[in-house]
Amino acid sequence: MKFICVLCDTQMKLEETTGQVEGSLSIIFTCPSCAHRTALLTNPWETQLVRALDVKIGGRSGSPEPMGFVRAMLAGGRMGALEGAGDAASPAAEEDSAASAELSAGASTELGTGSRCPFSAVANRAAEMASVSWDPSAERLLERVPEFIRPMARQGIERFAAEHGYPRITEEVIEKVRGSFGL
Amino acid sequence: MKTYWDIAGDGGSNIGAQVEAQHTRLRARMAHIRRKIAVVSGKGGVGKSTMTANLAAALAMQGFRIGVLDADVNGPSMGKLLGVRGRSLTMGPDGIVPTEGPMGIKVVSMDLLLPSDETPVTWHGPGQQESFMWRGMMEVNALREFLADTAWGELDLLLADLPPGTDRISHLTGLLPDLAGCLIITVASEVSHLIVKKAVSAVRDAQWAPCLGVVENMGRFICGHCGAAEEMFPGGDTAAMAAAMSIPFLGSVAFDPRLAAASDRGTPFILSHPETPAGEALLRIARTIQKQMEAA
Repeated sequence: MKFICVLCDTQMKLEETTGQVEGSLSIIFTCPSCAHRTALLTNPWETQLVRALDVKIGGRSGSPEPMGFVRAMLAGGRMGALEGAGDAASPAAEEDSAASAELSAGASTELGTGSRCPFSAVANRAAEMASVSWDPSAERLLERVPEFIRPMARQGIERFAAEHGYPRITEEVIEKVRGSFGL
Repeated sequence: MKTYWDIAGDGGSNIGAQVEAQHTRLRARMAHIRRKIAVVSGKGGVGKSTMTANLAAALAMQGFRIGVLDADVNGPSMGKLLGVRGRSLTMGPDGIVPTEGPMGIKVVSMDLLLPSDETPVTWHGPGQQESFMWRGMMEVNALREFLADTAWGELDLLLADLPPGTDRISHLTGLLPDLAGCLIITVASEVSHLIVKKAVSAVRDAQWAPCLGVVENMGRFICGHCGAAEEMFPGGDTAAMAAAMSIPFLGSVAFDPRLAAASDRGTPFILSHPETPAGEALLRIARTIQKQMEAA
C-alpha cells in the first residue's frame, strides 16, 4: 500500500505510527511537497493482518527475538516452554507483547513465565480490573512508562495488586513492582 | 496521476524490507541443511507422522544428522512420536536450541509450547470467529520462525511433517524454495488414493517440488500367531496408482500393533524392531531416500 498526494502527484512519506488503541493503528503520512497530512486508521482486523506478517509499520527498533512472533502471538503457551526467555526479554519482545495484549483485550504471553487457560486468563483479569482502582498519583507514575508497553505494565501492576491483596493502586504498590517493570 | 507501479519505494513503511530480512535470516539458517523433504498426505489418518518419525530414526541409524520440523501447527504430534513431549526449548547464543529425540534427532514442534493435551493452538487476535482471515498468515510465520530461529546446526536432512491436505504444501515451499521434494504417504484404500492423486497433481501442476515417491502405510496385517498376511485395505493398488502418476513407489509398510504401541511410548518402532516386516520395509525406504540424497 502506498499513498500519493493527489494535488502534488508525489508519494507521501510515513510520518508517525501510533497505537494500537483497542486494536486500531493510526498511521500518518505527509506530502513532502505541500506538507499535506493524512491519516490511515486501521480496524482491528486490518491491524491483525499487519501483525500476522510479523512486521512493524515504519520498521523495528531492534533485531527480532528468536521466536518472538510465536512468543508474542500464541495464546496460552506453556510455562517454561522456552528456557531463558523472560517475560520482557528484549524491547522488541516487549513491543510485541504489549501490542498483543492490547489486541487480545487482556490475554498475555505465557511462554516464558506461566501457564494459564486463555479463557480463564481473560476472565480473571477482567475480575481484577473491575476490583482495583488507581490513585491519580499512581496514574501519573504509570504515564512515565513508554506508551507501547504501558498496557502491559498496567495489567502487570493490577495483577500484582490483586495477588497481594491491595484494593487500590497507590504509589506504594507501584514502588513494589518498580524493579519488575523498569518504571 | 501516478499509479502504484510508477512509485518506487514504500514511503517509509519498511514492510517490504522487514519481510526480505525475514527471508534472509531463513536462507542463512537453511544453508546449513543439506536437504529438506516435506512429508505429505492427501488424506488424514494414514500414519504420515508415524512414517516421518520412523524414517527419521531409520536414517539417523545410518549415521545421518536428521532434524524434524513438525509443520502441522494445529495438530502437532512429532513431540509425542519422538519422545520429547514436555521438554523445553532453550534460548541459546545462536537461536532456539531444539529438543533432541532418539538417535540425536532434532525436533521442533508447536506441541512443545503448549501446556496440556487439551490446549488448542489459538492466537491473540481481535476475534477468533474471524480468525480465518489471518490464521494462515500466523501459521506461516510460526513455521518461518521454527525454521529460521532454531539452531539446527549442520544437518544432512530436515523432514517437515505437514498436515493432511494440499493447501499447506505451498506454505512450506514458499519458505523453502530449495525443498528437495515431497514424500507422499497413503494407505491402500481407494478413498486415500483419490485424495493422494489430487495432492500429487497440485504439487506437480504448481511446480512446488518434485514428488520423490509414494509410501504405502498399513499395507498388510501380519498375524502375530500364524504369520498369515492379510490386506488391510483390499482393492487399492498403491504401486499401480504410483505408476499411473509416474511417481516412484518406495514400498509398503505392514501394519504392526507394536508400531502403534511404540508410537504411543514415543520410541520409533524401527529402533526396537528393525527385523520385522514393517521394520525391514522402513529400512528399505530409508535406503532409497539415502540414495536419492547421495545422488543429489
